[in-house]
Amino acid sequence: MINFEEELKKFHPSLEVEDAEDAIYNQDLTDMADLLVKMIKESEEKSNEVS
Amino acid sequence: MFCYNCGCHLSEHDFCTACGADVSLYKRIMYVSNMYYNEGLEKASVRDLTGAVTSLRQSLKFNKNNIEARNLLGLVYFEIGEVVAALSEWVISKNLRPEKNVADDYISMLQSNSSRLDSINQTIKKYNQALVYCMQDSKDLAVIQLKKVLSLNPRFIRAHQLLALLYMDSEEWERAERELHKCMDIDRNNTQTLRYLKEVELMLVPDENVRQPGKRKKDEVVRYQSDNEIIIQPFNVKEPKRGGASTLLNIGLGLVIGLAVTYFLLVPAAETNAKNEAQIKNTEISNELNTKTVRIQELETEIEHLEQKIDGLNTELEGIVGADGTLQTIDGLLAAAAAYLETQDFEATAASLESIVQSVDLEQTSEGFQSLYRMLLASIGPELSKTYYDQGYDAYRNGDYPMAISILSKAVRYDETNMDALLQLGQAYDKNNNVTEAIETYDKVIELFPNTSNSRRAQSLKNALSNE
Repeated sequence: MINFEEELKKFHPSLEVEDAEDAIYNQDLTDMADLLVKMIKESEEKSNEVS
Repeated sequence: MFCYNCGCHLSEHDFCTACGADVSLYKRIMYVSNMYYNEGLEKASVRDLTGAVTSLRQSLKFNKNNIEARNLLGLVYFEIGEVVAALSEWVISKNLRPEKNVADDYISMLQSNSSRLDSINQTIKKYNQALVYCMQDSKDLAVIQLKKVLSLNPRFIRAHQLLALLYMDSEEWERAERELHKCMDIDRNNTQTLRYLKEVELMLVPDENVRQPGKRKKDEVVRYQSDNEIIIQPFNVKEPKRGGASTLLNIGLGLVIGLAVTYFLLVPAAETNAKNEAQIKNTEISNELNTKTVRIQELETEIEHLEQKIDGLNTELEGIVGADGTLQTIDGLLAAAAAYLETQDFEATAASLESIVQSVDLEQTSEGFQSLYRMLLASIGPELSKTYYDQGYDAYRNGDYPMAISILSKAVRYDETNMDALLQLGQAYDKNNNVTEAIETYDKVIELFPNTSNSRRAQSLKNALSNE
């Protein structure tokens, strides 16, 4: 049996057109490729420090 | 595919041919991103939009620069009514690849039509307002608001779902089902929609083992839709059976109450109506009687007038008609004619004619009567006129001018050609100071007898009179 109050909590206000700019700026665009590059660079830096 | 380190185009090898960097993992990540994009494309093509969103977001998590995946994600968002999310994806896409990007067309399409953009914004605001109403437990207002939202943007999945949830809360299962089917038409694999639909179908499908509260309510009523209204009609509701005695008692009570109502309410009302009708009829008869009385009085007055008129006419007739029914005037005229023929007495005949003229209007008498009268008058007229002239002249000589006027007038009437009598009459008027009559008489003499001594005499007398 669906609980109305609980279900209602799953609904969130929709972004208005005026808020689109903030939403775009605040969007985290970091992807797996960024993480990989970062990891490779960090590992390279560590290896350089060790040597 | 380009090298993350130097930006050179990568070959089929696992290292960059330009800088020598190991790109095996990087290539795998790109492949995974492309795989998710393909999956998202397949799902979108079969309208599994929720699945497509999930796959495309996964694709972008692996490679944010996957422009096709981002553009498609924006398109899917736009299809489910999330316009701002779609716009965000397209703007990011355009920033990542400013040239040769289909997102540019999508953005231009939205921005070129400002009214459409306003309409979209209003839709979102109304949806948010509806959500606020739900939080405030104003569910009716929320339903109204959501209906407006869906009239503006029928593809807004979240609005459909919220409306369905509200219908479910108010146990309007058919309406909820209808909304959820609309959701399914847009997005076939939305988990929330499917969950709600399952609940709704559970409530709608009869289940003998499970007695749901909503089910019970559904069984007790028949629901059908008429236009926009759902008619709820009680079904299978039977009156509890009662004993025969109580039924008879109830029937008896009903009869008694019916009779009482008839006696105390209907009978007085009928009596009042009858009295009113009789009163109206009496008034009508009274009015008619008054009218007839007035008419009778008028007729009686008219009869009285007519009787008076008849009496007057009878009196007049008696004066005209003799005792034996013969007209007196005719009799008198015949007697005068006989006397004249017998005695040649001018004066007696003249006296008879005078009395006839005074008693009757000659114009109203018969032609024979008038002919006889004129013949007698012509026979005695000249002689009679001469006699009257002599008498009048004597009266004039004696200074009795009124008498002279009276007698000379008769002389002129009996013989209009008696110019001496006419001239003498003018002089009598003159002497009697009747100037106007004197001048008129002189004029007659001048006119009727021109070039005579009398006319010249009349002219001189008239001149003398005018000079005075």
